[in-house]
Amino acid sequence: MTGTVSRRTAAVSAAVAVVLVLLVAMLARASGGPDPVVESPLLGRPAPEVRTTTIDDEPFDLARRKGSWVVLNFFNSTCVPCREEHGDLVAFAESQVGAEDPVELYSVVVDDTDAAVRAFFDELGGSWPKLRDPDGAITVAFGVALVPETWVVDPNGVVRLRVAGRVTLDILRSEIAVLRGEA
Amino acid sequence: MSAPSPRRWPVLLAAATAALLLGVVAVRDTGPLTQQERIESISRRVACPTCQGESIAASRATAAEAIRAEIARQVATGQRTDDEIIGFIESRFGASVLLLPRSTGLDSLVWILPVAVLVVAAAALAAALARWRRTALPVAEDDPGVESAAPPRPPVARRLAVAVATVALAAGGGWFVAAQSGQRLPGQSATGGIEESTATLLSQARSLNFSDPKASVDLYGRVLEVDPDNVEALTYRAWILVLAAREASDEVKLAAFAAADGQLRRAIELDPGYPDARCFLGVLLFRYAGDARAAKEQLDTCASMDPPAVVQGIVEGLRGEVEAALEEG
Repeated sequence: MTGTVSRRTAAVSAAVAVVLVLLVAMLARASGGPDPVVESPLLGRPAPEVRTTTIDDEPFDLARRKGSWVVLNFFNSTCVPCREEHGDLVAFAESQVGAEDPVELYSVVVDDTDAAVRAFFDELGGSWPKLRDPDGAITVAFGVALVPETWVVDPNGVVRLRVAGRVTLDILRSEIAVLRGEA
Repeated sequence: MSAPSPRRWPVLLAAATAALLLGVVAVRDTGPLTQQERIESISRRVACPTCQGESIAASRATAAEAIRAEIARQVATGQRTDDEIIGFIESRFGASVLLLPRSTGLDSLVWILPVAVLVVAAAALAAALARWRRTALPVAEDDPGVESAAPPRPPVARRLAVAVATVALAAGGGWFVAAQSGQRLPGQSATGGIEESTATLLSQARSLNFSDPKASVDLYGRVLEVDPDNVEALTYRAWILVLAAREASDEVKLAAFAAADGQLRRAIELDPGYPDARCFLGVLLFRYAGDARAAKEQLDTCASMDPPAVVQGIVEGLRGEVEAALEEG
């Protein structure tokens, strides 16, 4: 009888241990830190279609930018982190002027008006194109739930990086250098 | 009314499980009928990505409204089923937006485990009752010479068969409930796949443009089989043809250039605003046809369209050569 009980105890203990190990493994896999570089089902896949106009009524088609590295920054003029990161985006855009293989920067306007976006850029600087997304199709296509978010698309048209939340000049420079095989 | 014989417990257990599963199937929704009903039905199955436990049908958050608008667009086009639309949203936002867990992969455990636990618990209860009945049967206390009337334990083979049947019932029942009640998203595996598309083929072809021209040409050819007017495939297949023919015999070279010229002009005709085709045609006209004037026209038009960096790099030095040739000529 004692032998049966101890065998049962051992079996239950083993089962509990297995469950605990699985839980720890799952927690270990989960994102635990505030790393802004995050996963997305789109990473490594062709970028979604982005066919729209800029707030200056110029046509834009992301598929036509293949051959260039492209950064898409989803933003809204009333969002505080967007305002906080803008200086870094301006510095990044300036660093690409005259570069051998310049990265193209575009802002995607999320739930905002042309006038508010113009006022935002007039105040904080930056002359790169701002893309309209009036019905949220681009935002949904990239799975953007909150702004700001920044995405990098490589010259083959493949999504390579997603930064959720505030992006910095350091993140953009270092991550793109890694993606280009320069670091 | 007497209690059922312990021998009947497995049968009763199987019958109860079958009734439960049939009940689950019977209460399943038969599906919406109108477009608006479809939009609402799909919206109720998708979680708002910025809210806590709220569906996009109920939420007024910006992201929820954008997703609802996307669902409305896809329903209006009529090209995707409800499951395919939800699969699209999941492919963009991740599995966390699924209010109903999937019937595949790890999510399926949400459906399978409760059923499996229920079946195993019922089996364990049945076994315990049977044992209790055996030990509770009266023993002839007045006559110590008479053995207990309790029936012997069932043979090992029978107990093993019951255990196997219980496990099979638990697993089968769990799978059945998962298949009937979970999200069944088409074209997706447990690791989450997105079906091969023209965009995927084009990206693959691009990545092989210079490292494996033959494979790249094959991939562009596959794109053109399904979409003969694909401007990118026409342009880059022609360009790779030009590059590959440079070292060939004059006869092959001429044939390749003529074919490339035709394909590039076809691409320009289809999309006059595509700079890459114009730049490549400019290179072809200057380098291989010796027509500096026609080349300049194409290169200037290409430059005015702000070509991507790679194309700009290809023609950057060439424009000076073309200008010089025109001055000389």
